[in-house]
Amino acid sequence: MPSLLFLAAFFIAPLFVILEMSFQEGRLPVEGAGVFQNYQRLFADTFYLGVIAETVGLSVVVTLVSVLMGYPVAYFMVRHASGRSYDLIVFLLIAPLLTSIIMRTFGWQVLLARRGLINEALMMLNLIERPLGLLNSPLAIVVGLVHVLVPFMVLSIASVLQGIDRRLEESARILGAGKLQTFLRVTFPLSIDGVGTGAILVFMLANGSFVTLLLLGGGTLQTLPLLIYQQFNTTRDFPFAATMSNALLVLAVCCLYAQLRLIRRRGV
Amino acid sequence: MIRLNRRHFLMGAAAGGVFALPPARRLAAQTETITVTSYGGVWEEAIRGIFVADFTARTGGKAEVQIGGPPQWMSQIEANLADPPIDVLVNTIDLALVAGRTGLVEKIDPSKLSNLADIPQRFVDVVEGWGVVFDYGSAGIAYHRERLRNPPTSIKGMVEGALRGDFVLSLPGISYAPTPQMLIWSFADALGGSVNNVDPAFEALKALQDKRAVIFYGGATEFLNHLEAGEAEIGIYWDGRTWAHYSTGAEWIGYINPDEGGVMNPVVVQKVVNSDDSAWEYINSMLAPAPQLAFAEKVQYGVTNTKVAYPDWLKDRITPWEATRWPPFEEIGAKIPAWVDRWNREIGA
Amino acid sequence: MAQMREDVRERWALAAFTIAFFVFLIAPILVVVAVSFTSVSYVSFPIQGFSLRWFWRIVEYRPFLDALGVTIQVAFLSTAVAVLIGVPAALGLVRSRGASAEVAMTFLLSPLSMPMIVLGLALLFYLSALGLGISLISLVIAHAVIGLPYVVRTVAGVYRGVSPDLEESATMLGANRWQVLRHVTLPQIRPGIFAGALFSILISVDNLPISFFFGSPSTNTLPVVMLSYLEHQFDPSIAALSTVQMVLALAGLLVIERFYGLRHLGAPT
Repeated sequence: MPSLLFLAAFFIAPLFVILEMSFQEGRLPVEGAGVFQNYQRLFADTFYLGVIAETVGLSVVVTLVSVLMGYPVAYFMVRHASGRSYDLIVFLLIAPLLTSIIMRTFGWQVLLARRGLINEALMMLNLIERPLGLLNSPLAIVVGLVHVLVPFMVLSIASVLQGIDRRLEESARILGAGKLQTFLRVTFPLSIDGVGTGAILVFMLANGSFVTLLLLGGGTLQTLPLLIYQQFNTTRDFPFAATMSNALLVLAVCCLYAQLRLIRRRGV
Repeated sequence: MIRLNRRHFLMGAAAGGVFALPPARRLAAQTETITVTSYGGVWEEAIRGIFVADFTARTGGKAEVQIGGPPQWMSQIEANLADPPIDVLVNTIDLALVAGRTGLVEKIDPSKLSNLADIPQRFVDVVEGWGVVFDYGSAGIAYHRERLRNPPTSIKGMVEGALRGDFVLSLPGISYAPTPQMLIWSFADALGGSVNNVDPAFEALKALQDKRAVIFYGGATEFLNHLEAGEAEIGIYWDGRTWAHYSTGAEWIGYINPDEGGVMNPVVVQKVVNSDDSAWEYINSMLAPAPQLAFAEKVQYGVTNTKVAYPDWLKDRITPWEATRWPPFEEIGAKIPAWVDRWNREIGA
Repeated sequence: MAQMREDVRERWALAAFTIAFFVFLIAPILVVVAVSFTSVSYVSFPIQGFSLRWFWRIVEYRPFLDALGVTIQVAFLSTAVAVLIGVPAALGLVRSRGASAEVAMTFLLSPLSMPMIVLGLALLFYLSALGLGISLISLVIAHAVIGLPYVVRTVAGVYRGVSPDLEESATMLGANRWQVLRHVTLPQIRPGIFAGALFSILISVDNLPISFFFGSPSTNTLPVVMLSYLEHQFDPSIAALSTVQMVLALAGLLVIERFYGLRHLGAPT
């Protein structure tokens, strides 16, 4: 298969470059440790284990929020939107991704800052007395990530919903199932592959992102990609960056395999 | 075993045979076009319009300008050492020292740089001869003039004021490359510590964080946003960038050279190993007085040739290099991994 | 009757939710679009005055236009590669049974989980060693590696819902493999290809951590140039560039709409 060959040539081979790099001595060497010293530094330290947990936790939260927000929109788009509004929805979905991250962050700052639009509006309505610290918080990170990743969820679900044979739903209704019951028993199970695709893409993208954390989070969350970026930008500790990258890869591949198995088992 | 070899062969064939066309670079090596580096925007317009123009006028040589940033250029050179894609590298001081140590650049050759005589020796020594400083910035205090009428004039006063609750600080975070010099060392130095004892800096940052009196920026534009959006009123920032922002019409921003002195941030020019010899002449253009003055007028940062005389409007804005604090760059370089690790544990990323 | 009332209620509830969703999605973007029409030289909101000068700046500052061209070129070339090799792989894997198919699928998707900055560095050294160096070809290969998983996954997701009955009947009626693919399979998986290609293009256009390792005077993409531009100045031209990208995307979608119909492209026939 050409794609396996292509990946073997241009993905697996570079992996060996990274693997080899991770066995070199880093810039904060562990005393008396051998070639696995970088791995020892990473896994024998509760601080880094906490970082790994935070990485996975953030991805899970972003994925769940994206499913909850994205599914109804995908459903509306496929079942109720007319031709014109369908095009508009596709355009609006991809617009955030075409906006430079720096400007996107500026947009959020205008909305979320202490003197921002949301705080001013809430104060004017006398709902709050002092401005809320919305920026530089885990909340801002989740909002920023969902904002750019939820389009992947919506389009993934929509592309599968479109293929569902509506006669199946109609039969269920004729046989006396309620609207909600039809959705839960027929429509949703049939669209599980789309949810799975969306979840995998969103999870992986959240798992690897750092710019949003850097610009909107102000250091309130620490994840592996952010620390990897630091090794490139500040400490120039490539061996440790390679080690963290391998840890992230193994972690993500395990999650991926588990997700695929889950979908396969529950799918049709 | 045979199968493995065959698979290797197939992989190689797929990679090398199908996709490899002759390398696009340097097909016309005879024309002797060198590649020089620059940041984008105003900087690149200055590099192209002043230094490259001078180089071409004097020698007839051609130079292409590559836009980007030092970490990227260093990696590109390292991956192609025998035929580097870059001839002249503009670099930050910490990476310039790394480039020297790892053999990416050549030592400066005074016999090939006639303008080097007008550059103070300190600007060569600070990079240990692996290039020369042609331009510098100074990190001091920038603030919102309309929202903060009586700003502190020292770093110490700024920290104390923020702890009292007078204002919120915006400081560079650990993912911003110059932070070890412009913040950690600078705070340690201003608050009674040194490069070997940065506890005062970390204690001050932790106290500020407990009082919710500080936010951190991850990139240079973020600081301006923090002030503009009202997330902070004052912080540590570059003189040149503050004045550039002021010049664009944002006259609410002000700059103060702190009592302790701003932190020197040299920009280094280096000749890449195995690069074309005409690179020396280009570097010579970057050190010449007239082009340096034109460059300073455009980017509003200080330059290093002693023959340069700034016009009055610019003189007020540029911090004289003698008045800045020079961090011990080499020692800081060795300490950076430990500081970053400590920051991650105590302050957050 | 009760059922129809229920349907109307559902429709309104969903419409309300969708509108709220797009307010969330578009609010920060509207700020950006507004900033690109400001008349002052720094980024601020609310904007002061109205002018088109920042759009003129894009035309005037050559590297922006050059980089925009490279960005579009790389996005489409790498997506073409990803589709050409990704679609057959997805089709093959969905119809094959057993654990090895799952392992192969995991493998095909694994570039998603690689931190791009590390992958970029490794590819830079590897492709340089192969003699491809810093070139457009290297850039397209690197982007195809990260685009491939999107195509494979979306196509597989749609194809798994397609019943093999139709393909089998076509075969029984005497269609050869190519005819089955062309007339039965492809029309059914079109929404998947469309979504996957769209993802691959978007990921490529937005990519910085891989592109910047392969930047040169002739291969710099827009994110690389913008990042470097911001190093010394922060003016509304960055906002104007985002607006231009959106207008180009809108124009692209309208062209597709005119010739094929988005809905048609997004729906199985």
